[in-house]
Parts: sequence; structure tokens; C-alpha cells
Amino acid sequence: MKIPITFIRIILSSILSISAISISNAQGHGPLYGLPTPTLAKGGVNLNVAGMSLSTEDETSYMLRYLFSYGITEDLQINLTTPTMIERLDNSPRTRGNSNMPANSDIEASLWYRFFSNAFGVGKRFESTVIFGVSAPTDDVRGQVNVGNSVHGAISTGYASRTWYAWLGGGYQYYLERDNEQLGDLPYASLVVGYRPDIFMGDYPKPDWRIFVESLAEFPGDNKYIAQPNFTEERSKKVLIGSSFLGLYGAWGISFGALVPIVQDLIPGAVKENYRVSFNLSYWL
Amino acid sequence: MKKLAILIVVMALGSFISHAQIQKVDQEVFGMDCAPCAYGLERGLKKMDGLEKVKVSLNDGKAYLKLSENNNLSLKQIQDEVKKNGFSAKKAEVVIEGKLINKNGGFQLQTDNETYLVANESSDDLISKLQSGTIKIKGIVEDAEDDNLSGTWKIKLTEIL
Repeated sequence: MKIPITFIRIILSSILSISAISISNAQGHGPLYGLPTPTLAKGGVNLNVAGMSLSTEDETSYMLRYLFSYGITEDLQINLTTPTMIERLDNSPRTRGNSNMPANSDIEASLWYRFFSNAFGVGKRFESTVIFGVSAPTDDVRGQVNVGNSVHGAISTGYASRTWYAWLGGGYQYYLERDNEQLGDLPYASLVVGYRPDIFMGDYPKPDWRIFVESLAEFPGDNKYIAQPNFTEERSKKVLIGSSFLGLYGAWGISFGALVPIVQDLIPGAVKENYRVSFNLSYWL
Repeated sequence: MKKLAILIVVMALGSFISHAQIQKVDQEVFGMDCAPCAYGLERGLKKMDGLEKVKVSLNDGKAYLKLSENNNLSLKQIQDEVKKNGFSAKKAEVVIEGKLINKNGGFQLQTDNETYLVANESSDDLISKLQSGTIKIKGIVEDAEDDNLSGTWKIKLTEIL
């Protein structure tokens, strides 16, 4: 008997929503889409399960992602993330997706090094992090283009306090050529501002919530493929904006949010997006 | 004569059994902004032998520690744990029992594994009451560079207990 994909989606969404509500809590203590800075203690372990959906004009993807993070030191963190694709896009846009997880079906390993940290008050700190990652695809072809391995680098700086948060970051992902075809590269930048209202200022171990306004700017390059009629050196320009919520309680975190494009100046053949939706369940061991 | 002998033996045993140690620490922590941060620090501290009670407050930016009797913990170990969690350990209010000695024109309080130099900023009244020997005091340990903790601290006395 063939089970309709829509039915599977509904069941999965329900399970994920219920688990999110019942277990309560998110990804690090920062944004969902923008680049954050690592927070794991030396020897600390963080497990994440994320549900991600990206909708284009013609189709919608659904994916679960798992992220394992380990604090080698309080300033150096290693991450490994793997996907379970529920529904792939035939023609997908170039994007990173969540802050430390690819939006596509890549398996990615990354190192996060916090090279600057200044804790200057109760609950307050400035910190900067550099990120380097490598990824391998789990699909052969993406949008009719052969998919190769990729490298990713980014830098991010942030401010955290008990009330206000801000992160500014930028990154670059480069896909290697595979069988004479190559996915377009992706320079991007993110800006996030967060706020925790007084009502959620309860002291530990009470739960705390915070809201983020997130923005992403992406400049994906053109794909290269055999029998390509017109390769262009120009880049698409996309700006997305949205919000996310983060709830933290003890060792648990939950975050959820959405982004919508407000600027989409696309090169020919690039995919127009409608929205991105994500949620993330996090547990610190 | 017999009573005196017993007294000497009891005193000798007492000094052998009693530990010079930290009994209470209210450790100021900078940079801790989230519940999992507090959770991680609390869990890390609880793993240390010699702690009877641990409470972490995000709003106060402090870890409140009550140490068990005959613990062998040092303030350096506690501050190292704070650093390991990615935060910065600042001043600490402590209650310490130790051996006070007068050395180089100043008082030093020695525990089993650390030395606390009594700061000149302590009140003259308190300093005038200090006498060499076993003493229990309360004071504020000044902030030391996180990357350079030596086990020798400067303490401003606030009370002789």
C-alpha cells in the first residue's frame, strides 16, 4: 500500500510539534538562521534535532536534521550534522539554511573557534567566532547539476546580555566541481537582534524566552553545467527577514521561526523562494 | 599534670584532624546569560568533590557554594570550573578557616592548598584584632586574571567569625 506523502508530512509535523511542546526548548542560546557564536563548555555535548522546510514557487522541501556538537575547549567546538530528507526540491536555491546547519542534504563537519571573548558584566559579553566546515552531499544531482563536496567558512561576532542580543556575521560556501559541473558559490551575511522582555526575566532554573529579529542577505552565483546556454558571472541578490523565538529551560531548548524574502533579484535560472520555516529542539548533556 | 597531658593530646589531635579550608563561596560570574549556561555551570560545580550545596543565579550573576566539612577544594578549582564553562570568574565572597601567620609585615591566611594575603584595604579595626593562629574569617577575594590563577589571593576582610 502506498502512503501519500502529504499524510506522512502531517504525521511528521504533528510528532515534531508535540515533541517540541512537551519537551520544551533550542539551538545554542542564539539565533535560528543567523550566524551565532559557540557556547559549549569544555567537554560539553549538545544534541539538536531540527525540522526545516523551504518553499519555492513550485515545490516545498521537508527535512529533519541532527546536529552533534562537542566542546573541545570552552573556545573550540566541533560539530557534525546529518540530514534525513523527507522531500527534496528538484530545483533548489543556494542557501545555508539554519545558522549551523545546511538547508540542503549535505552532511557537514565544522569547527567553531571563539577567538575573542570579553565577559564584562553580569550576563554580558562580546565574542567573536570563526567557522570552518566541509561537507559531502547525500544526493548526486541538485537542480540538474552534479553536486560536489563543499567548503564553508564564516566569521561572526555577537553581544549577549540578559536583555539584549545582537549578532553580525558573514560567510562563504564553495562547491567543488564534479564531472565538469559545479554548483554556484554562496557569499552571505546575517544580522540578528534579540530581546528578552521583563516578563521572561525569571531567574534560573525558571524557563526564559527571547525573541529574535533575523535577517539574511545571500548572493548565490550561477551553476555551471554541461550544455549550459548562458553562464553569467552575475549573482542573485536575496534579502530575507523574519523572526524566531527561543525558549530555554534547564538543559533543554526549543526555537522556531520563519523567514520570508523581501528582495529577490535573481539571475536567469535561479529559484524564487516563498518562505523558510524551521524549528529546533536542543539538549545539553 | 595528668589533665594537662590529656589537654595537650586533645589539642594535638584536634590540630591534626581539623582542615584549614574554604567553607562558603559566593562567586561572581560575568558573561553568563542563559539557562543552559547556568545549568552547565551548576552541573560542572556539582561534579566537584567537597560541595554540599550549589545554587546558580543568572540575575545575580553568581554561583553560591556551601562546601562540606573536611573538603579539599580550592578557590582556584572553583574559578577554573567557571572558566571551563566559558565565563569569567570575578570577585568572590568567602568564609575561610585557616592558619593566620604574620609574615613580611603583613598577615597571610593559609588553608591546606592556598594562601590569602590580607589586603591593606581591610579596616584597621579588623586588622588590629588579628592574631597569629587558627582563625575563621569572612572577606572579599579580589578578581584575578582568569588565565593566571596561582592559588595566592588577596582578600579584604569584612568580618572575623
